[in-house]
Amino acid sequence: MFQFKDVSYGPLKDLTFSINKKEKVMLFGPSGAGKSTLLFLFNRLHSPSSGSIYLDEKEIADFEVTDLRKRVGLVLQDPNLFPGTVLDNIKYGPSIFGEWDEREAEKLLQYVQLPTSYIDRDVEQLSGGEKQRVSLARTLANSPEVLLLDEPTSALDYRTAEEIEECLENLIEEHNLTMIMVTHNLQQASRLGERGLFIVDGQLVEDGRILEMLEKPKSNELARFIEE
Amino acid sequence: MEPEISNQSLLFLIVFVFIPLSLSYFYQLGLSKNILWSSVRGTIQLFAIGYLLTYLFDLRASIGIPLMISIMITVATFHARLKGKELPHVFWYILVGLLVIEISVLSMWLLFDMVEFTPSEVIPMSGMVIGNSMVAMGLALERMKNEFKENNGRLLAALSLGAKPKTASKLIVQKTLNAALIPNVDQLKTIGLVQLPGMMTGLILGGVEPVMAIKYQLVISLSIFSSVSLSAMFITLAMYRYFFNAQDQLLETEEEIRTQS
Repeated sequence: MFQFKDVSYGPLKDLTFSINKKEKVMLFGPSGAGKSTLLFLFNRLHSPSSGSIYLDEKEIADFEVTDLRKRVGLVLQDPNLFPGTVLDNIKYGPSIFGEWDEREAEKLLQYVQLPTSYIDRDVEQLSGGEKQRVSLARTLANSPEVLLLDEPTSALDYRTAEEIEECLENLIEEHNLTMIMVTHNLQQASRLGERGLFIVDGQLVEDGRILEMLEKPKSNELARFIEE
Repeated sequence: MEPEISNQSLLFLIVFVFIPLSLSYFYQLGLSKNILWSSVRGTIQLFAIGYLLTYLFDLRASIGIPLMISIMITVATFHARLKGKELPHVFWYILVGLLVIEISVLSMWLLFDMVEFTPSEVIPMSGMVIGNSMVAMGLALERMKNEFKENNGRLLAALSLGAKPKTASKLIVQKTLNAALIPNVDQLKTIGLVQLPGMMTGLILGGVEPVMAIKYQLVISLSIFSSVSLSAMFITLAMYRYFFNAQDQLLETEEEIRTQS
């Protein structure tokens, strides 16, 4: 699905790897490694300074950027909801493409396990976990094929984080999504991911099955990271 | 009788400078140098402009007015651009904006016979329009930069959902314009109740009938109100797009904004 060929940008250096459809990939590594920067390359919030990125064998630079971003949805660490109601947020993306259908609203809230009565609620009245669920629903409203997640639970308490994780797992299964998630939490990585990309100082140090990587790290960097 | 303040009386104004100076000293605000410098600078500027105006008022209107308005617009542009100096072409946008606003307002005044085309009427009134527009543009630029910084995540979210920069920035533009316009709306609401506006006070002190002074004040207040609104709107709508590049990506650092192609 995605192919990175010698991609460099900011701290990232000559990254080459591919991601298959429906893979659940965890990007992890120490702070400042360039994980979020890498994530933002997938939907062209950044463009590589050298190298190329392909989506289904077409260079992503050749996509109409809005179409690409519709296909490759992003959920950030902070929900960053827009002022207004839950509905205002959910229909934001589809309205841009003229595809909003009022009947979708309730379905989307059910996907993220929020009561449908929340639809007209002001987002300021929601808890942190509820806000993140609305943020998820807002991204799903565009019917993406790929879900990019930038530490979506790191600002939440343990219990809420677990609930969001569960919600994410269901969503990814139900919608056959490809998931690429940045996390610094190794337990979360092993729970949600199948494959891991371990990044240090902008370089891809290890790439493999996440459970094997965590049990038998091949590099000293990963061994040290697990110990820490 | 024209009011007159003697030079000796003016010297006593030093007391008014001494008060904030003492406050700064006692509370260690570190503002003493600034207070002294701004007082001296303000006094020199005012006297200089007084002599310049006397000279300009004696010139033919067709020379004195364009000359002074050009000077005012140029100085205002240099000053307002400091608030957004990392934004490409900001100088030219401000210059053109101020020029268009001043020409429009002046045309309205002359067309509807509100003001006579004499330096003594056009120059002070234009000064107020240009000065207020300059402040509005500067504030709008500053506010917009802060809003872009504070709403970085929201902008990224909006772009990621497929929004073009214009749609993604809608909230920022709204907030910036709100912040620029609300003080003016409030000021207009309380005009004459909380404080007598400067121009009206000046005219009354100069011996003009209060009702006549009010008419002039209305002309200038509403002219300022519309030019401030236009200035803020123009500069915000002209500049927001420089926070994005041609690939609809958000530029997050001053360096990226300055060096965008």
